[in-house]
Amino acid sequence: MSLDQPNTALDPRCPSGPLAERWTKHLSEIKLVAPANKRKHTIIVVGTGLAGGSAAATLAELGYNVINLCIQDSPRRAHSVAAQGGINAAKNYQNDGDSVWRLFYDTIKGGDFRSRESNVHRLAEVSTEIIDQCVAQGVPFAREYGGTLANRSFGGVQVSRTFYARGQTGQQLLLGCYSGLMRQVDAGRVTLLPRREMLELVLVDGKARGIVARNLITGELERYAGDAVLLATGGYATAYYLSTMAVNSNASAVWRCYKKGAFFGNPSLTQIHPTAVPQLGDYQSKLTLMSESLRNDGRVWVPMQPGDKRRPNDIPEAERDYYLERIYPSFGNLVPRDIASRQALYRVREGKGVGPTGVAVYLDFKEAIGRLGRQVVTDRYGNLFQMYEEIIGDDPYETPMMIYPAPHYTMGGLWVDYNLMSTIPGLHVLGEANFSDHGANRLGASALMQGLADGYFVAPNTVGHYIASVDLPKVGTDHPAFAAAEREVNARVTKLLSIQGNRTVREFWWDIGRVMWDQVGMSRSEAGLKEAIDTIQGLKARFWEDVRVPGSADDFNKSLELAGRVADFFELGELMARDALARRESCGGHFREECQTPEGEALRDDANFAHVAAWEYRGDDTEPARHIEPLDFEFVELKTRSYK
Amino acid sequence: MLDLRAAAWSSVGKKLITGLTGLGLVVFVTVHLIGNLTIFMGAEAFNAYSDFLASLLHGWFIVLADLGLVGFFGLHAWSGLSVWQSKRRARSSGYAVSADARGPSRKTASSRSMLYSGIFLGIYVVLHVWHLKFGAEYVTTLHGEEVRDLYRLVVEQFNRPAIALAYALSMLFLGLHLRHGVWSMLQSLGMLNRRLLPTAYGAALILGGLLAIGFLVLPLYVLFFVDPVGTAAAMGGLR
Amino acid sequence: MHFTLRIWRQSGPQAAGRLERYEIDDINPDMSILEMLDLLNEQLTRDGVEPVAFDNDCREGICGTCGLVIDGVAHGKKHLATTCELRMRGFVDGTTITIEPWRAQAFSVVKDLVVDRSPFDRIIAAGGYVSANVGSAPDANEILIPKVDADLAMDAAVCIGCAACVAACPNASASLFTAAKIAQFSYLPQGQTERERRVVRMVEQMDAEGFGDCSNHGECEAVCPKGISITNIGVMRREYVRALTGQLR
Ligand SMILES: Cc1cc2nc3c(=O)[nH]c(=O)nc-3n(C[C@H](O)[C@H](O)[C@H](O)COP(=O)(O)OP(=O)(O)OC[C@H]3O[C@@H](n4cnc5c(N)ncnc54)[C@H](O)[C@@H]3O)c2cc1C
Ligand code: FES
Repeated sequence: MSLDQPNTALDPRCPSGPLAERWTKHLSEIKLVAPANKRKHTIIVVGTGLAGGSAAATLAELGYNVINLCIQDSPRRAHSVAAQGGINAAKNYQNDGDSVWRLFYDTIKGGDFRSRESNVHRLAEVSTEIIDQCVAQGVPFAREYGGTLANRSFGGVQVSRTFYARGQTGQQLLLGCYSGLMRQVDAGRVTLLPRREMLELVLVDGKARGIVARNLITGELERYAGDAVLLATGGYATAYYLSTMAVNSNASAVWRCYKKGAFFGNPSLTQIHPTAVPQLGDYQSKLTLMSESLRNDGRVWVPMQPGDKRRPNDIPEAERDYYLERIYPSFGNLVPRDIASRQALYRVREGKGVGPTGVAVYLDFKEAIGRLGRQVVTDRYGNLFQMYEEIIGDDPYETPMMIYPAPHYTMGGLWVDYNLMSTIPGLHVLGEANFSDHGANRLGASALMQGLADGYFVAPNTVGHYIASVDLPKVGTDHPAFAAAEREVNARVTKLLSIQGNRTVREFWWDIGRVMWDQVGMSRSEAGLKEAIDTIQGLKARFWEDVRVPGSADDFNKSLELAGRVADFFELGELMARDALARRESCGGHFREECQTPEGEALRDDANFAHVAAWEYRGDDTEPARHIEPLDFEFVELKTRSYK
Repeated sequence: MLDLRAAAWSSVGKKLITGLTGLGLVVFVTVHLIGNLTIFMGAEAFNAYSDFLASLLHGWFIVLADLGLVGFFGLHAWSGLSVWQSKRRARSSGYAVSADARGPSRKTASSRSMLYSGIFLGIYVVLHVWHLKFGAEYVTTLHGEEVRDLYRLVVEQFNRPAIALAYALSMLFLGLHLRHGVWSMLQSLGMLNRRLLPTAYGAALILGGLLAIGFLVLPLYVLFFVDPVGTAAAMGGLR
Repeated sequence: MHFTLRIWRQSGPQAAGRLERYEIDDINPDMSILEMLDLLNEQLTRDGVEPVAFDNDCREGICGTCGLVIDGVAHGKKHLATTCELRMRGFVDGTTITIEPWRAQAFSVVKDLVVDRSPFDRIIAAGGYVSANVGSAPDANEILIPKVDADLAMDAAVCIGCAACVAACPNASASLFTAAKIAQFSYLPQGQTERERRVVRMVEQMDAEGFGDCSNHGECEAVCPKGISITNIGVMRREYVRALTGQLR
């Protein structure tokens, strides 16, 4: 199918042939833009996280003109900065039997067989080049005494392939990427536009040719025209209100594109991370992640008796239920994220939850301190313990930590083909914003890898292919499509400010978050999802009648920013519930109560659901259409994940 | 690529100048104090020392040293003033409430008052030079040669309580300036690492203190323990 | 808990600002200070008053977006913490808390407590990078780096760019920020070819932005949420001397 037609048939455009040769073959077959012509093309990159920042810098290195926007005041603050644990790569530096195939297989299996083989294999292939690139940029990864790179094992896999920089891997990778970006800004090839929020996509002749963004300082609407638009706007777990994401994380950019015709892939697939600091009260604005590595030495337990209000140290060994060790004797506390999270939920439902709210479980280091000594525990987890103590006010050396799952990553996102192009020609989607290579569940340390793979190695090639393949007549910001898009944005902004109702934006955000967490969270049922759709529709209607947005449209107005994002969460939340309802199987992070084994384990349905669901917007008053992209597994055999 | 003049004007260049000139001045002050301690050994030793300096390199040493000192003082003052000026520009409106961060901070009364203690010391130096270097030219004989009787002048002057006290007081400002200045010049020259910094910070307190106390004791010692008339008599009377 | 808040309100860069007084009740000691401000803003919105603008994003101390001068100290009196990490249990019930924006000529106030820190980006653009195009990198283990050097580089690299150093410096100097980046690369074999150019250009840009000079007060280190040492400023000066003497060679 030609690249300038909307890809509504969901053709993944994967190359054929042996899996390991596909990417190389693709690279040698795709079209190139002549060096002298590159500077005649402008590419708009939305987002400066690992995905957006790396793409913007690399495209500029190649010679394109790049416009790069972000919401924060500096590209260095994109939420990639918060990643702690590490980044995977199939370097096999530890000689422990790792390989590209093994990383590929672990990722496919970890994703519960709901991702595309070709994409995942490519990801595993370029993973090694990512590390080379980052080291060349001066990212200070952890080292051994001999000067070689250090690795650790992460997220329950059997090899040590995770590269890290203390507990700040995301920060260091992002700063590396940012420095490369700033170098191009200095060279005049990237126009950097911080404190801008993309609020509309501009289509000309069916192709993505520009955007309308709001200048968050002056409130002005600005138009940017280009030959391709790259979205790298991150995840949308903020739809749950409380999550490990940044407070400015949002779905608005992808949502605008969805409403302009881009299909939304697997919107309901969300990763709920098992080890976050639990919620303490309604005032709370954020759930802080406690690195997964804590489960390497900590033991998870709850009291055996429901409603046991004794202090943890007063509960004798015999009255504690180390439930992960009990249910999964071979993996114990190291079961994958989705399983650990769900089991915590069950304990809380059984009334065995701990802490002041009863919505938490213990993560206990007493045994580890006894076995390893306090010093070793401090070396491994000291900073996390300190962080915890700061938030909760308890000392984890003395009292077991309280943890509870928190929304953490969205596997869902805009549907893209092998070239990372959405169903709209020219609109490419990178990083967490696309429906990603992680299937139904992401492995630890793989999101950073994917963001950089997309930005450094995939998009710079495939975007060039697109530009070289289609006819792109000059389009300026005076084109009527820009004026029309600007009018749409203006109308929304004006509407939001004109309501002046009785409830604040935050109250509505809190409400939608509650519904999402309760009904579209770790455990989902048909009845609950249907109820959620109703409730959300009701909330949305109420929002547009009763929200109060203070301030004006023409200056710095956080409430207005937030209002626009929350308005989108209602629509997205509804779509997430619909997607969850339609997927009548349990897979990875998606658990349907109707679909479980007698022991309460997830029951996948490969016969009916080995596919990507891609949703098409058909108007505010019409239900969206669910399309499918079947997943062909040519190289791996579908297996049931078992961690018993 | 790097224009030396621009480099000197840069914020780091200015720090290097402050540090280098500061280092020079600290060395000078230290040598000066050690030399001055000869006053405890009596007139002969003190005058011999001053004559030694005056006749070194056929008298050229003093000229060169003076020129050098004027240069160092000038540059030190210029860079200090320009740091202060840049600060006024860079923080044109201040905080309604300000407090110290404490912890590893090295901000002290000394560091905050560098400009003022510096200006004070500048004025002091001018007065001091005018007062003693260009003071009364008494003459005495030493080993058969006529030399300047600086000892007499010093003793005479420091026997006036107001002058002795003014000198002693000024030396408190020297201590104040050196408390921050000594470690800071090393830091400005990039000579400290994590291990050395705390040591240098402590050493600065000691060195600054010693220099200030040394200079402070001199006028007081003369005031209380050295008799001007007696001295004059011992030296063979007035001429 | 109950607090009286005195908060800097300023409608725009050119406007005059002033401290406004607000009373706030029912503060949970486990709340963060930003959550308290959220609550205040809810209250103000309901009362028809424009909420207080303040910058924040990750709310876990890593993005460097937040930054308030609290009772005269950048990021508050607690050491090694960003503003978003401060919990109300660290404040005395019933007291008055004064909250002001970072103040420096180089950072204009955008609104209320929000300032423009773009000078930091320009300092990095002037040389805070290694020129390594994608595709040209050798195998990562071909560049051996002693653990000691990697650790030193990391100690400097943890800077979150929050600009508390500038806010706290009596001279509003950006030396700690600039030096941290220069020091990181000085410890690493990567980017050696542009070492001299880097320090000269970054210092030049820092000066051009209108930051003050450094007087070695060390307040920057004391407020730095990541504890970056002022010895990095020493490294910057050494690098500068190196560039100067390289010039003479
Ligand atoms: C606490 C935490 C810890 C994690 N730890 C790990 C880990 O150890 N390993 C791992 O592999 N993964 C980890 N992850 C996941 C990983 O960090 C993210 O998935 C990844 O960094 C996302 O990168 P990104 O570039 O897609 O998006 P982001 O980094 O989120 O960047 C999004 C960008 O888009 C911009 N943007 C968004 N909307 C708009 C708009 N409308 N207009 C303009 N700009 C917009 C933002 O300003 C920002 O610049 C973690 C995630 C969290 C939350
Ligand atoms: S909000 Fe990110 S550091 Fe405070």
